[in-house]
Amino acid sequence: MYLLALVIIASGGMFLLEWLKSEGADFQGINPTILPIYDFPDIWQNTTYLASFVKIFLAFTVIISVNNDVTYNTLRQNIIDGISKKEYIFSKLLFIVTMAAVSVLFLFVLGLINGSIYSHVWGVEYIFDEMEFLAVFFYEVIIYCTLAFLLSLIIKKAGFVIVALFLYTLMFEPIATAILINAPYFSETIAPDIAQFFPIKALNNLISVPFGRYVFMEIEDNVSIKALAIATAWFGIYLTSIFYILNKRDLK
Amino acid sequence: MILISTTLESILRINKLSKRFGKIQAVDKLELEVFAGQVFGILGPNGSGKTTTLGMILDVVAPNEGSFEWFDKEETVEARKKIGSILETPCFFPYLTAVQNLRITAHIKKCGTENIDNILKQVGLFERRNDKFKTYSLGMKQRLSIASALLSNPPVLILDEPTNGLDPEGIAEVRELIKDVAASGKTIIMASHLLDEVQKVCSHFCVLKHGRKLHEGAVSETMGEINQIEVAANDMNKLESVIQNFPGKTAYQENGSSLIVTITEDVNATDLNNYCIAQGITLKRLFTHRNSLEQEFLKILRKND
Repeated sequence: MYLLALVIIASGGMFLLEWLKSEGADFQGINPTILPIYDFPDIWQNTTYLASFVKIFLAFTVIISVNNDVTYNTLRQNIIDGISKKEYIFSKLLFIVTMAAVSVLFLFVLGLINGSIYSHVWGVEYIFDEMEFLAVFFYEVIIYCTLAFLLSLIIKKAGFVIVALFLYTLMFEPIATAILINAPYFSETIAPDIAQFFPIKALNNLISVPFGRYVFMEIEDNVSIKALAIATAWFGIYLTSIFYILNKRDLK
Repeated sequence: MILISTTLESILRINKLSKRFGKIQAVDKLELEVFAGQVFGILGPNGSGKTTTLGMILDVVAPNEGSFEWFDKEETVEARKKIGSILETPCFFPYLTAVQNLRITAHIKKCGTENIDNILKQVGLFERRNDKFKTYSLGMKQRLSIASALLSNPPVLILDEPTNGLDPEGIAEVRELIKDVAASGKTIIMASHLLDEVQKVCSHFCVLKHGRKLHEGAVSETMGEINQIEVAANDMNKLESVIQNFPGKTAYQENGSSLIVTITEDVNATDLNNYCIAQGITLKRLFTHRNSLEQEFLKILRKND
């Protein structure tokens, strides 16, 4: 029932999200004959890579939801009424997981449909191969939304968090990490190794750029265990920080 | 009003609770105990730490030192499900209606939702129950707060300025509500500025200042002896000379159009009345002043300045 209130607010965001996903998945169908993007099993990696960009919108709904609780002080009222802080965090995580699950389901269905339309390769063993990308996408979305959760607790203005997260994810960090990896000055040192620890890069590394395969024929075809470990570590850090903040800070 | 608690079950025990905000010591080693069935008033000037104390026992503000126990060492989150409370301003989702907001409260407190309509009728919000919270006036928001506190029929109520923003009718309704709840044996902890209200409903009270407890006691003990009677007559000059000769008085003074006579302990209003009639003057006003809580309160504050 508590989620009921949140769903009301999130439903607006969800519709937008679903629309965007279908746009994102379909616009490249304009040139289906040229790039075998929709071939099974590659389709899973391709679509989840693209969908990574859309996780920002999911984070958007999380930010709004948490920020509401902070701005309207309903978190405080609910704690007074008898919800424990753990239950609150758990309910928000449940919200995030549900959204992630719905997105994955959506991607799965879209993948099947688009694949069946455009794929040059067809066969049951191909369709369900490499679907671990969907699971990884699920994980990626959860971690990203948890970061959004944490940020909304720290910074109390929703608009600021949204814009900051957006810019950081799409601009600052990719630029910073690209510099660390590629710039001649840095690449001599261990800096490229540090780059993979940056939060967003760690997330994005879970599903690497698949498009390279059509040009270079050599890219990460599997989910790297190291990337998984780093991402999980960040997840742990976010969760611990959320607990810490809620318990230490006075709820005004 | 005297309430006798049949059991001395401890509802709340506060041990040396302290909270500091930067340089300001808001609550300073507070010790307090509230027993079942009491209607306990927490009084004090602005900034004395009443709301901070209530915030700490409700887990909203983290104390710097000290501890507190609900229901004899019950786990605090479970304990809070048994407490209905209002703290400072009403906090609800503005885009939801009263009924929806109360459903959330019911879910957290794990009590059923059947009571919602009744409670809304009781606080006078039934007609507006399907309007969004943001359309409510301050008084209505406060009424919704009260409704949410009463919803699960809890054995303990914590009210921080419950009459804040209410019209006189509302204040009277809240007073009646508190009396009804107290009469059914529940415990109420109330922080208020309206000493008149506290005097009418509370059984015990304590006075806080700068975070420290100055005084604690039963309301009935504080309502001291009658020692002042206000009199007036058509012929005030004659009345004054009569009073001057009254043996049972210690002093008198003018108070607008009447006289206030301070009497000795063995004399009461009837004696004064008989004396005046015997002296040939009929009183048109005879009013016995009681020690009011307000006087006591101000006396306590002054003593500790």
